[in-house]
Amino acid sequence: MAGIVISGVSRTFGAVRAVDNASLEVGEGEFFTLLGPSGCGKTTLLRMIAGFTELNGGEIRFGSERIDRLPAHVRDIGMVFQNYAVFPNLTVAGNVAYGLRARKVATAEIERRVEEALALVQLTGYGTRWPHQLSGGQLQRVAIARALVIRPRVLLFDEPLSNLDARLRVSMRTEIRDLQKSLGITAIYVTHDQEEAMSVSDRIALMNAGRLEQVGVPVDIYRHPVSRFAAEFMGTTNLVPARMVGRAGDQFVSLRPEALHLASDAPQDWPVLSGTLAHVELLGPIMRLDVKLSDGTVLKAAMLDAPDRSLQAGATISLAYDPARLTVLP
Amino acid sequence: MKLGVPHNLRLPVAIAALGLLFLGLFLLYPLFNVFSASVLDADGERLTFANYAKILGRPFYRAAIANTLAIGVAATAITTALAVPFAFALARLPVPGKAAILAMAALPLVLPSFVSAYAIVLLLGRSGIVTQWLQSWGLGFGSIYGAGGIILVYTLTLYPYVLLPTIAAFKAVDVSMEEAAQGLGSSPRRTVWTVTLPIVMPAVLAGALLVFIETLENFGVPFVLAEDMPIFAVEAFKLFIGETAPNPASAGVLGVLLILTTALVLLVQRRFLSARRFATNTRQAPPILRIGRPLQVAATIYCWAIVILALVPFFAIVVLSFMEFRGPVLHPNFSLANFGGLFDRSLRPLVNTLVFATLAAACVTLIGVPIGYVVSRWRSGVATLLDVVATLPFAVAGTVLAIGFVVSFNSGPLVLTGGPLILVLAYSVRKVPFAVRSASAIVHQIDASLEEASISLGRSPFQTLMRVVVPLMLGGILSGVVLTWVTVASELSATVVLYSGPWRPMTVVMFQALEGSGAGIATAAASTLIVVTLLPIILLYRLVRRYELSML
Repeated sequence: MAGIVISGVSRTFGAVRAVDNASLEVGEGEFFTLLGPSGCGKTTLLRMIAGFTELNGGEIRFGSERIDRLPAHVRDIGMVFQNYAVFPNLTVAGNVAYGLRARKVATAEIERRVEEALALVQLTGYGTRWPHQLSGGQLQRVAIARALVIRPRVLLFDEPLSNLDARLRVSMRTEIRDLQKSLGITAIYVTHDQEEAMSVSDRIALMNAGRLEQVGVPVDIYRHPVSRFAAEFMGTTNLVPARMVGRAGDQFVSLRPEALHLASDAPQDWPVLSGTLAHVELLGPIMRLDVKLSDGTVLKAAMLDAPDRSLQAGATISLAYDPARLTVLP
Repeated sequence: MKLGVPHNLRLPVAIAALGLLFLGLFLLYPLFNVFSASVLDADGERLTFANYAKILGRPFYRAAIANTLAIGVAATAITTALAVPFAFALARLPVPGKAAILAMAALPLVLPSFVSAYAIVLLLGRSGIVTQWLQSWGLGFGSIYGAGGIILVYTLTLYPYVLLPTIAAFKAVDVSMEEAAQGLGSSPRRTVWTVTLPIVMPAVLAGALLVFIETLENFGVPFVLAEDMPIFAVEAFKLFIGETAPNPASAGVLGVLLILTTALVLLVQRRFLSARRFATNTRQAPPILRIGRPLQVAATIYCWAIVILALVPFFAIVVLSFMEFRGPVLHPNFSLANFGGLFDRSLRPLVNTLVFATLAAACVTLIGVPIGYVVSRWRSGVATLLDVVATLPFAVAGTVLAIGFVVSFNSGPLVLTGGPLILVLAYSVRKVPFAVRSASAIVHQIDASLEEASISLGRSPFQTLMRVVVPLMLGGILSGVVLTWVTVASELSATVVLYSGPWRPMTVVMFQALEGSGAGIATAAASTLIVVTLLPIILLYRLVRRYELSML
């Protein structure tokens, strides 16, 4: 187990700078997420840590040991892949034992540790099954057990949940997080799903076009995005010119939908914006509104559903916002 | 970092280096020698085009080129015209016995075509059985010697090259495309012409070009049937036998021209096919069309007729080999004398065939599978070069490669002529393209992240190749071994140039019996070859992936 230090790492493919001078420190035992849209470089960075992609510059250390020039198979990494990558020609137990056999662990100990690992991912008794007999969720558990059982220095997750259905995704991510915390293994997790990232991570590095856009704890990035990209990628937001909310300058301001309330429900001293209700939708507990202001700007607002509220598209509506929740963006 | 090669590229680089070394030594070097023989003067010192002028100045050789091309075009056109409706019937019409038809349709690809040609001579030749029978009724027909007979045999033996990929293409057509056409008001018949056929066209053309190249390179069929009609591959062989070995200038000229022709055809194909690739996303196999009874009967007769006609010559040879020959004259009595005559002196040729085929199949697999892996997994200039070089033997006639072998390994540091190894190496080089294509197609279907998972779990790239990739490829590899084995066992064009003394395989025995008057021995040798090539296919039928036959 070790922390990870990434300093000045770059990689280009042809003319594309996939990862551009990235530096990061991941603490020991931390659950760290690389988040960003497809093509932002998060997978390339993960694959450089794993040893499947060469660095053009910079270095990567596990603790004090420099690893970026080591062959991938001696880096002692547990990796979980998007498409599970469970060996179809081996049983569940054979898959989990694979890394132990490579390490020449004694047979009796392999058996014990495989059982243990399968119990960890709640697959006790599945050892003799074949991969084609398992569901997607079970396959991903096998892949996780296989990565954990070798007691790696670092765990890497490459969008491990994106092939699962929505409900399973939510329960699996909690499970992955709990497992990682109970074992205390440093983990780097790649995803494009902002909600997933916020749910599991100790810290997040938001990536855009090969660069690290913002690094921080999830709530900080959400509440205090440092750029328009960060504000828009981390959840939904309204980007409005600063002048509209009574600020000087040409900058933009991020105003989260949930910071807007119906004026009637809001404290007296909150500023008010009026417009017509263009669209309203109820998504279970949350109600979403699109409000068109007189200058044509459309503001998105979200609030909890209330039984006595009735809103019709086309009606005139007044929204108030919490001035403390405005973020001015550069 | 001593090597300067990144660690995750060391395995592909090593494989590519070994592959290029092998192909450089046993493919490029011999071909270079053929080429240089064709452009050097008699002393081998000065560059000259005199050899080309000499060959091309003679009407005989110009005729050889024209004949070969004309026969190739005609055979390709007829084969395609027969095979496309056949493929459509098998893929989309209610024809009974499809599995049996498919199994039998693949056989001509592994059976030696010159055996079929010889059977045609025995049946329809000047003193052929059918000819004489018809004559006794006062009936006659034109000569089967020359272009007609050659085209007939090519059609009967090469049609699976078009049939197999076209069936696959018809089955891969997305039904929703046809449904869309019909939804737009197109009749089923018009839909076939305007939607289905254009989609399968690339597969048809790819198959047709295989047929064409095969006709350019074929040695055995024209050798048996051409008589005094000059044909490319046969004349190159005769020129070479007649020339002094160190400087086969004239044979070299024909060889270079032959390679250029096939390379040109392949280039045209690549350009054309890469521009038109109609990949369709198949959700389900297209449905069997409903047709009237008369059409169904017609389609059934059509399919069965082609399949059976193609196999009749082989069947006839087997039957004839158990009859009594006195010289070239057949007597309709059961007799084992032919096999007695064949095996009495020695079992050596049969043993040679079995040993050569086994060694070559092993060699091809060891070279072709790793190259196929690299070509499929590693995107780089070196991998592309390797792919091109490994595909090159496909464009090189066996006769030409063999001439290059003799010139290259007759003297100098590596002498192979006169031994068995030269045959095994020539076979291996000839079959490498098949192994590479087959292996890279299989690797393509193996998820690359399986390998990464194995590596991250602590297995080196080489161990991963052996423990993850090879086990997953095993079915395909074994299928390739069987197919290589049977095609090597019946290889003739390189063999006739390279065999020597005690290292005669069965094909040469038959070839020599054809040249002499040992019709009985020839039929027995042909029968033996049929058994040797069919037996592994029948025994390992479940293992063999028939669609791969069309890649041979």
